[in-house]
Amino acid sequence: MKPQLKSLLLRHETALLLVVAIEWFGFNAIGPRFGTLDNNFDILRHTVEIGLLALAMTPIILTGGIDLSVGSLLGLCAILFGKLWRDAGFSPAMAGACTLAIGGVAGGLNASLITVLRLPPLIVTLGTYSLFRGLAEAITRGADTFTNFPGSFLMLGQERWLGLPTQAWVFCAVAAAIWLLVHRTTFGRSFRAIGFAPEGARYAGLPVDRRIAMVYVVGGLIAALAAIIYTARLGQAKADAGTGYELFAITAVVLGGTSIFGGVGSVHGTLLGVAAIAVLNNGLVHARQPREAAGMLTGALLLLALSASVAPKVWASWRSRHRPSPSPARSS
Amino acid sequence: MKKLLSLLLAATLLLGGCGKSPNASSTGGTAGGAGKKITVALLPKSKGNAYFISCKAGAEKAARTLGVDLLFDGPTESDPAKQNEIVENWIALGVDVIAAACENKEGISTALRKAQSKGIKVITYDADALPDARSFFVNQATPEGIAFTLADEAARLTHSEGEIAMILATLTAANQQEWRKYIEARLAEKYPKIKLVAVRPCDDLKDKAQAEATALLSAYPNLKLLMNICSPAVPGAAEAVKQAGKTGKVKVIGLGLPSENRRYVKDGVTDSVILWKTEDLGALTVDAAVALVKGTLKPGDQSFKATTLGGATFEIKGDNLLLGKPFIFNKENIDQFNF
Amino acid sequence: MSRYFRELSVGAALLLVWLALAVFAPGFYQPQPLLSLATREAPTLVVACGMALVIICRQIDISVGSQFAVCSVAAGLLATLNWPTALVALAAVAFGAVFGAINGALVAGLRLPSIVVTLATMVTWREGLRWQRQGAFVNLPDRLQWFGLSQSAGQGLLVGLALLVLVALAIAMKYLAAGRFVYAVGSDAEAARLAGIRPQWVTFNTFVLLGALTGLAAMMNVAQSPQVDPKSGTGLELKAIAAVVVGGVAISGGRGTLVGVFVGLLLLACVAPALTHLHVEAYWEKAIQGAIILLAVVADGIRTRRGGRSENV
Repeated sequence: MKPQLKSLLLRHETALLLVVAIEWFGFNAIGPRFGTLDNNFDILRHTVEIGLLALAMTPIILTGGIDLSVGSLLGLCAILFGKLWRDAGFSPAMAGACTLAIGGVAGGLNASLITVLRLPPLIVTLGTYSLFRGLAEAITRGADTFTNFPGSFLMLGQERWLGLPTQAWVFCAVAAAIWLLVHRTTFGRSFRAIGFAPEGARYAGLPVDRRIAMVYVVGGLIAALAAIIYTARLGQAKADAGTGYELFAITAVVLGGTSIFGGVGSVHGTLLGVAAIAVLNNGLVHARQPREAAGMLTGALLLLALSASVAPKVWASWRSRHRPSPSPARSS
Repeated sequence: MKKLLSLLLAATLLLGGCGKSPNASSTGGTAGGAGKKITVALLPKSKGNAYFISCKAGAEKAARTLGVDLLFDGPTESDPAKQNEIVENWIALGVDVIAAACENKEGISTALRKAQSKGIKVITYDADALPDARSFFVNQATPEGIAFTLADEAARLTHSEGEIAMILATLTAANQQEWRKYIEARLAEKYPKIKLVAVRPCDDLKDKAQAEATALLSAYPNLKLLMNICSPAVPGAAEAVKQAGKTGKVKVIGLGLPSENRRYVKDGVTDSVILWKTEDLGALTVDAAVALVKGTLKPGDQSFKATTLGGATFEIKGDNLLLGKPFIFNKENIDQFNF
Repeated sequence: MSRYFRELSVGAALLLVWLALAVFAPGFYQPQPLLSLATREAPTLVVACGMALVIICRQIDISVGSQFAVCSVAAGLLATLNWPTALVALAAVAFGAVFGAINGALVAGLRLPSIVVTLATMVTWREGLRWQRQGAFVNLPDRLQWFGLSQSAGQGLLVGLALLVLVALAIAMKYLAAGRFVYAVGSDAEAARLAGIRPQWVTFNTFVLLGALTGLAAMMNVAQSPQVDPKSGTGLELKAIAAVVVGGVAISGGRGTLVGVFVGLLLLACVAPALTHLHVEAYWEKAIQGAIILLAVVADGIRTRRGGRSENV
């Protein structure tokens, strides 16, 4: 077998692609309406916001960081969008632009704490996870919701454009942009370098702090975008929007083959990870299985994927420790 | 290269899906015609909730009697969008009627309207959606009825004056807000000497409710009553009152299940547990849902004769199908119920 | 700055809160409610101590909430089967230890990243429990509450038990070789290995210990009320990690004391009741807790930056 083809087949992403295909064809066989266009569009529409967060998470994790606050930021941006539109009288477009800016600023908060004060991303984003959600609840006093958006805005989340659900186009655009950023620009290469060896990258002259700040700000922007799409899809903005999304995003990213330690990973892997989980969730409904099974299977899938990627190394190190070492060179 | 592969695969799948539109495709099933069993899809607010489990029990009994298929599925997490996704899954599955207990009034209406446009009948129960998104609302009691019963019980137990506090599930849940609004209105109108001094959320957790109640008891020494409009909070608050040694001095009432509160009611810690016959609610919902599909229940009807529930007739007020009045469980009658 | 700067500053913040309460809401200081509050938080303290060890060892465990729920329900079900109380408690601890061992084996044995492993186990145990229980409470036999003692005796016992765990672990960490190994592995696993310590074994054991402590905490929770809510333990991992972080344990491993964890937990646990007593609306709770965490961490960052050391993860 040609070496390039063999290495292609043995890649993590290929295995994941196989998993997605097995899932899809399997559910297609079990559930008569799983394969319909309507259902697949449903899968698409339900996954856009989480998929966006997973895309935002990928460069962050590549640099060796993490962002637990994206779900809470989605909630905060959703209600701020609603508030700007309803109480400040902005048009949806204007409110949307302001929300994106707010998302960027929030990402900037994470970024500055991480780069300026050199705080661990896990802890910073743990704090902002509570803070953002808390601000959302405080601003709405928990109870306030925003609805009755104009139809022209709701079209973004509920209608189709040129055959696909509207938000799918947005998702494709963002996915393409992030893919290009990570895989075809020097920025992207620097992310991996920073994740692989931060001090080395610094000595090599990379503007490490600026790059790290960039991924968090971009993350914030994308979370804000996801918030707008979420509001359009639901027709309602509430403070608890996006609860739990960050864990889904992290799961998708890791499932896709990105190492949580940084330095290794791909955007297409993340997309496949998102697809694997989304198809699983939807398919189980068509297979008339209880919802909890999806969670358990996702957990199992995650562990399997992790073990599979690590197994070769562990096997090699076990073998090297238990194989009798060759005796030192003797004149024979 | 790999990305290209992924894109190609996705495209193939979509195109493959295109060719597969089933014949009765997106329109809801035909009204029980020619041997095809009617499918009723029942949506609770959350799946692992004992209240909705008991509704489900009644619904299953009714489904068996009526000879229909019952699908029961609900969110396991608190993301507001989950209910929408489940409804959309059901639209894709092609069920005949959806019966939903709505966490977010406006949000879920988006999905329910879509179901209606595909010919699927929609009714709501326990918590309503927007009126144009469903044909009927099976109401166990109007929110005013529930709120007034709670307020009146509170007034009875505090002799219409004093400080009371409220524990609810979350500050964001729609029906909690509605009940709170009506309770406050009723208190202001009929019992002005009762002061609602604090409202705390318990996140639908019994342990947190107990902690909140303990803090309330010590922060408001003149508190006379704890009103809990979230079912895990009723035993939680009762335990807090008991541990604080204030049984009898601070009354406990709330919306809850008899089985969870039995020991506190019998010990005199909790005075009244207000609810309704949840199994009947589930049964009536399924009954009405099937009637809607078959056409025996139409908008504009003034009453509904159920097939199950002993053939009783239920009043319809506008588009609210009323189960009846809230039921007060107390020391005298709580042993008769086991849900 | 003093070596115990973090512990002292958090302690100072706590004293400030207590002072404010004394002035504006003296009703906070009544013995019975305070004892109830302490008893409610005792299980969290036990878990936080175990979590501190795992974090010092440069790992993390976000599955403790789900472990707690499963152990609570399991203990409750065993009690309804008329198992003697002591055996039920042992079973709860054993279950917890098994969960910890599973996490530990995956992290230490297969060298998988702990955040992802515990994410997977968290979801699996939680969904599995939900599937099984469907939200139903477990009604406990009367003899189980407070272990059959009177309420005050039971509460005192539980608080005492939590403090005992705290003190025992604090002493072990400082004076036992095993405790120092945890710090060693957390600050530099390779150096520890060269020094003759087995880092994977140490890591594995911290997870098992955390699991066992979680089982113990579950039992302590079960003994406090006549019913078990299968949703109990929701948010426990967040509370424990927040207490550990606020208390000065570095997520980069190798640093931190249990005294700090204790003070951190006290501070965070006071937020909700303080808000109630000060008549502040409930919806500020999360924002304030997030702010405390951030402040604690920012203060840390400023201090180390001024000191010139880099605290990169």
